[in-house]
Amino acid sequence: MSNHPLLEVKDLTTSFFTSRGEVQAVRGVSFDVSPGEIVGIVGESGSGKSITCMSILRLLKSNGRVVAGQAHFEGQDLLKLAEHDMRKLRGDDIAMIFQDPMTSLNPTLTVGEQIIETIIAHRGSSRKAARQRAIELFELVKIPEAASRLNSYPHEFSGGMRQRVMIAIALCCDPKLLIADEPTTALDVTIQRQILLLLKEIQARLGMAIILITHDLGVIAEVADRILVMYGGMVMETGSVDTVFARPNHPYTQGLLTSVPKLRTAHKERLRPIPGSPPDMLRPPVGCPFAPRCLRAMQICVGEVPPIFEMGDQQTHKAKCWLHHPDAPTNDEGAA
Amino acid sequence: MLAYLAKRVGMMIITMFLIITLTFFLMHAIPGGPFTSEKMLAPEIEAALNAKFGLDDPIWVQYINYLKGILTFDLGPSFKYPGVRVNDLILDGLPVTAQTGFLALLCVAALGIPLGVLAALNQNKWQDTAVMMFATIGVAIPSYVVATVALYFFALKLNLVPTFGLDDWRGYILPVVALSGFWLSFIARLSRSSLLEVLGQDYMVTAKAKGLHPFTVLFKHGLRNALIPIVTVLGPVVANLLTGSFVIEQIFALPGIGRHFVLSISNRDYTTIMGITIFYAAFLMVMILIVDMLYMLLDPRIKLAEKSK
Repeated sequence: MSNHPLLEVKDLTTSFFTSRGEVQAVRGVSFDVSPGEIVGIVGESGSGKSITCMSILRLLKSNGRVVAGQAHFEGQDLLKLAEHDMRKLRGDDIAMIFQDPMTSLNPTLTVGEQIIETIIAHRGSSRKAARQRAIELFELVKIPEAASRLNSYPHEFSGGMRQRVMIAIALCCDPKLLIADEPTTALDVTIQRQILLLLKEIQARLGMAIILITHDLGVIAEVADRILVMYGGMVMETGSVDTVFARPNHPYTQGLLTSVPKLRTAHKERLRPIPGSPPDMLRPPVGCPFAPRCLRAMQICVGEVPPIFEMGDQQTHKAKCWLHHPDAPTNDEGAA
Repeated sequence: MLAYLAKRVGMMIITMFLIITLTFFLMHAIPGGPFTSEKMLAPEIEAALNAKFGLDDPIWVQYINYLKGILTFDLGPSFKYPGVRVNDLILDGLPVTAQTGFLALLCVAALGIPLGVLAALNQNKWQDTAVMMFATIGVAIPSYVVATVALYFFALKLNLVPTFGLDDWRGYILPVVALSGFWLSFIARLSRSSLLEVLGQDYMVTAKAKGLHPFTVLFKHGLRNALIPIVTVLGPVVANLLTGSFVIEQIFALPGIGRHFVLSISNRDYTTIMGITIFYAAFLMVMILIVDMLYMLLDPRIKLAEKSK
């Protein structure tokens, strides 16, 4: 991996302006993605993980606005780009796959048309060439009888096949960055795995970077190189998947990991859910968003947002938690 | 496809037969006849007239005779206008009715849909508020009120348009406005809500994420889907507008068919009632068939005929 990140997001802050007030969905998120890297963003619903990506692609609903921050993609700030230039990037260098393949494809157009129009829009190729490319893509994502399936409509496909179509559309212009927003959530468990393996295989073959948004830690463990744990619109912990899973350093990450059932444990262990519910982003907590639910919250956690601390074990491993302040009490039982 | 069409036409013939039968017997169930009027005719004359038009035959004989006429597309003579055939009555009135109706339809489609789209694209902004305000007024105020008020101001007070008749193009303005007002407003509201629903769909985000031109996103992905419910309504609207409105034709003194229809009922002009009913019914059924065909073009999920495997 080269030293220059492909995507560099700095202090991204996004709000939705509703009749009830400003919903602060993303609050100062920073991360970067290197070429060819798979970054998993995990978090519960409302943690801001999808909004982060929609902000980068500038596909927010009309009442949403990026309030502050930068998102440099190959050196240019996506958030400052003219809409016309942004449009050229979407579907070309940066492609996106969505959660629900049942609703993400247009029901009144053939799947072939939905790929071909994208190829023509970006490559200006002839219909015939675009069609040929579409067949190749269908073969790449392993849709059987590719040529004839191009003429089918989305409702003639199963959920897994539709997600393959979505992936084929996303791949049509060899993107450098693929954003996959919960690509397996709406699918059957057996299909989920197939799609994940397909994504991983394609990534290995084509070498693009992937941002994988999910609420499923298992998905991250399976495919991602690096993980971003989001909560209350902020990044709580980040690091390589191996490190974070082995030594979670934020109480929220620890809570997430203990609330997932494990199949191979030596002794019977009760699942430990995280008590409480996510913060109301209309009136987010003044301090650490996780403080009200955190079993180890201290006085300072409620009053002040913690800075990011680098963990000693690995350079990229960071946690946003007061417990890592040099003056914090050291009965660090959770890291075990 | 052909088999499906044949089936639909078969169904239409059966429906038509039921409509003819029902109308025929219901009509004869109303007391009185075409020659009962305030100025009493001498009984002998009335009997002679009844005999001339076959009205003294038993009702089922009249029914059979009428059906025979229908098979040759002969709707019979009018009882009220001596010497006039119902076929001619319809053919005379149709151009007037169809012309105003067609112009009204053009207004409905060419203004209603774009206004709805404009409102949807500017949701909750002033354009939206303005369109919706007029559309709500348009739906709420009956056409005869619009017609009468417009006639009073524009024709009587301001003298901008003639008060009646279709002698020059200005004569068409008020009838067309009055005729299209309701449906235009209705279609504008429907287009707005339909497009808003489509704009919120996931596939619209996909279309944008693919980097398509905003026009492609709106027209190819948005409007095409939004048109489905509009086409559903547009079918009956076409039938409704092209067959005319009695009230509007009466207010503007237009020699269309709408007028004949209502007058024929109070006159018990049996053949005219039957003729115009059959004409309306056939028209409506054909429009519904066309709408169903259009559905297939717009929405591939709708399969009218099972594909032969």
